[in-house]
Amino acid sequence: MSKYDVTVIGSGPGGYVAAIRCAQLGMKTAIIEKYDTLGGTCLNVGCIPSKALLDSSEHYHNAETTFKEHGINLSNLKVDIKQMINRKADVVKQNVEGIAYLMKKNKIDVHTGVGSFKDKNTVVVTKSDGKKEELSTDKVIIATGSKPVELPFAKFDKKRVISSTEALELKEVPKNLILIGGGVIGLELGSVYKRIGSEVTVIEFMDSLIPTMDSTMGKEMKKSMKKLGMDLKLKHKVTKVENKGKEVEVTFETDKGKEETIKGDYCLVAVGRKPYTEGLNLEAAGLKADDKGRISVDDNLKTEVDNIYAIGDVVRGAMLAHKAEEEGVFVAETMAGQKPHIHYKLIPNVVYTWPEVAGVGHTEEELKEKGTEYKTGSFPYKALGRARASGDMEGLVKVIADKKTDEILGIHIIGARAADMIAAGVTAMEYRASAEDVSRMSHAHPTYMEAVKEACLAATDNRPIHM
Amino acid sequence: MSLEIKVPEVGESITEVTIASWLKKDGDFVEQDEIIAELESDKATFELPAEVSGVLKIKAQEDDTVEVGAVICEIDEDAKSSESKSEGKAEDKKEEKKEDKSEPKEEKKESSSSGSGPKKTGEVHEMVVPTVGESITEVTISSWLKSDGDYVEMDEIIAEVESDKATFELPAEANGFLQIVAQEDDTIEIGATICKIEVAEGGAPSESSSSDKSSSKSDSSSESKEDGKETYATGHASPAAAKILKEKGIDASNVKGSGKDGRITKEDAENAEKQSAKSSEKESKPSDSGIETEKLPSPDASGNREQRKEKMSSLRKTVAKRLVSVKNETAMLTTFNEVDMGPIMEIRKKYKEQFKEKYEVGLGFMSFFTKACTLALKEFPAVNAQIDGNEMVYSDYVDMSIAVSSPKGLVVPVIRNAEKLSFNEVEGEVIRLAKKARDGKLSIDEMTGGTFTITNGGIFGSMLSTPIINAPQSAILGMHNIVERPMAVNGEVKIKPIMYVALSYDHRIIDGKESVSFLVRVKELLEDPTRLLLGI
Repeated sequence: MSKYDVTVIGSGPGGYVAAIRCAQLGMKTAIIEKYDTLGGTCLNVGCIPSKALLDSSEHYHNAETTFKEHGINLSNLKVDIKQMINRKADVVKQNVEGIAYLMKKNKIDVHTGVGSFKDKNTVVVTKSDGKKEELSTDKVIIATGSKPVELPFAKFDKKRVISSTEALELKEVPKNLILIGGGVIGLELGSVYKRIGSEVTVIEFMDSLIPTMDSTMGKEMKKSMKKLGMDLKLKHKVTKVENKGKEVEVTFETDKGKEETIKGDYCLVAVGRKPYTEGLNLEAAGLKADDKGRISVDDNLKTEVDNIYAIGDVVRGAMLAHKAEEEGVFVAETMAGQKPHIHYKLIPNVVYTWPEVAGVGHTEEELKEKGTEYKTGSFPYKALGRARASGDMEGLVKVIADKKTDEILGIHIIGARAADMIAAGVTAMEYRASAEDVSRMSHAHPTYMEAVKEACLAATDNRPIHM
Repeated sequence: MSLEIKVPEVGESITEVTIASWLKKDGDFVEQDEIIAELESDKATFELPAEVSGVLKIKAQEDDTVEVGAVICEIDEDAKSSESKSEGKAEDKKEEKKEDKSEPKEEKKESSSSGSGPKKTGEVHEMVVPTVGESITEVTISSWLKSDGDYVEMDEIIAEVESDKATFELPAEANGFLQIVAQEDDTIEIGATICKIEVAEGGAPSESSSSDKSSSKSDSSSESKEDGKETYATGHASPAAAKILKEKGIDASNVKGSGKDGRITKEDAENAEKQSAKSSEKESKPSDSGIETEKLPSPDASGNREQRKEKMSSLRKTVAKRLVSVKNETAMLTTFNEVDMGPIMEIRKKYKEQFKEKYEVGLGFMSFFTKACTLALKEFPAVNAQIDGNEMVYSDYVDMSIAVSSPKGLVVPVIRNAEKLSFNEVEGEVIRLAKKARDGKLSIDEMTGGTFTITNGGIFGSMLSTPIINAPQSAILGMHNIVERPMAVNGEVKIKPIMYVALSYDHRIIDGKESVSFLVRVKELLEDPTRLLLGI
């Protein structure tokens, strides 16, 4: 029986990062992965493949809609969906191989199979051929992630009623794609197929898109998605989803309470994700998941059992790859006796539609609810030289600052490169910068980041230069 | 009647707008000033309010681009009954709004030019450590209340300074900008330079001279930040610094940040050493901004085993030194007796109200003990005496030291000529001195020259103790808590409230006979307070 200091169950961005940090800190580390490839949802069927398709489809969309304006004429523009999916597969392959290399480099033992507890210090790996191997370990990190939530009346048949996983593998461009859920995953995949020619209908129960983000973002997002040509049905409640063989029928109640049915080639259900703890045999270790499937942990991410930690989507907090990564490092360093830092409120949130949406810190709604006195400043991309030059003029930057101290409390961006720009917001807020601090720092011209500076000027004293 | 709503002028260079969205549907009833649509120009997005109440008729659809001045919709006022507003009124309203918008800008221009602060005269006033008492040769800076570079006003308290006897406050000796020379925790000699003040004229830099706060804010805030004043971010540790401090077990509030506005940098954290006493209280100090509402992980749950090192205050150091030397240099001995507190308690019960009413102080035990001791000391003057080299110094008065526990440690202020004071005067003095001790405001004078000391360990629950003499005095009386005890009274067992009293004394000057008799005398006086009146 192999003996380890730490065994990590799950090789997603939380698990593999935790394993690397443990190994860096001198612990003998094992990692267990159920699938043949490392990387978990993020690398295999989440962030990376969806971004690959988002970029491919955005190229096509631009070629179709904006190249002419740039003086580029194309004829016979066509989508080769097979090639698009193949390229995505290549990107994924290279990434997961990268993780395998990192495991080797850090001398981490990779065990392929389903990991489950025998007791709190023994983890059994059940391989695909049924063979079992036991690992003896001092400490365990549970990082098994999450999987898509299924609606009771819309079970995934993986043919017509699909989850995000299948949506990344379609062999054809659907004529009609019906999307249940107007959150991040739905809108990202919806825009992929909309751009390459599908008619996309989004049915959302709430009255806004991306409802967890600042409401201004939701509003702007709605405009963008409408402009792209998506049919958005907000405040609509899906009641039935039926696979009719060659098509799928979706029945819903409209905002006026009327029942309607629409047909499509596929129905993509993207209503969220739930922690994935099945098969871990938690009870054997003296643990159990709560009614939402989550494992409860203390401030150090330690479970009720002293030597077992849990991170990422299986514990409380946002289901984000970078949150899991931070927690992976946090746990590894805590085990090594260090006192690391995670600032949960400063973990950014990103949507990779076009324009991108990114936010960090408090939303205006949160501050209103808390009764914090704040001020806001925003700046539209339209007034930005760089945006004009590139033709990406949709979007705005919104900065929320404390009314008295001017400390930045939240930054929300919708527009080109928002996902990369938000890092500057995180840095500023980690150092508790004021809006004036940021507006007094030099920003290169012409860049999209100038919009952040201008929004900060607007928040400081309502004196943006370019408005 | 229908009112045509036109695209309003939104800026000089804007000639057309796009209708981003209708917030109301065709045929909806809209209220005056309700936002009915969102319009986009190539520079900004803005909202369109309904100019009157009525039923909306949409003319231009979403995504349409319409010119400024073009009709975008109509509102049918007739759909609303008698209250309908006239066109004229609506126009007025529009005008008003425009004016509203333009006003703040003008104000801003005016106020941005305002703002006058203090002007440096070029003179630098040097402040030295003042003489604080004969025997004191050096002091420690316990804390600066102002930061380097701050503007200070004459007589404003700028620092707290500790000597081995007392803490006192240091007032600024001029108006101007502070330059700190001696740092916190530095020990410096009397007469040494403690700080300099760059003398300035023209009054303190004001936050804002105009009433329009928002417009002048940026100026004043940037100024104050450069002054190094405390801001919301003072003491905020960077992510790396926060980790280092946590691992060292140092609270960020005990580290002086060298970053902008006092932010704690990684270097500050690396150089920080465990030192300050404030830590435990401040550990759970919530951050004020609300940003850090998420709890950071706490130390390992299996029991905290951290140790802290705190620097001794010079007061504590001195007390420690003196206590040891007293034990080494005197022939200290303790004698005990017990006092039936019944009679005093009786008197207190009986006259408490009247006493309080007349003298506005409570009738406590201290006055009885002080009076009893002064009478007994007269009879046994050696207990009130001191050794000075080869001589014995007898005092014909009693300067009664009373031990008070203060936040900074034990202090012993003195009640002068206690033998002459009435009960209410003693109580008044006790209250006055205890308050000063608590606030750290006792002067050296108020703590020197005592001839005898009373200490009351009973207030913390002690039943018996052997107090240490408060040198150069020769004796100290220890009071304790009052407990009910069975006592034999005339052959019967009675339950009585008893206090054990202790007298520690220097056997070199006080003989056993004197000390024991003194204590017996005190006991007699306390058990029958009428004797206090009669002096027998």
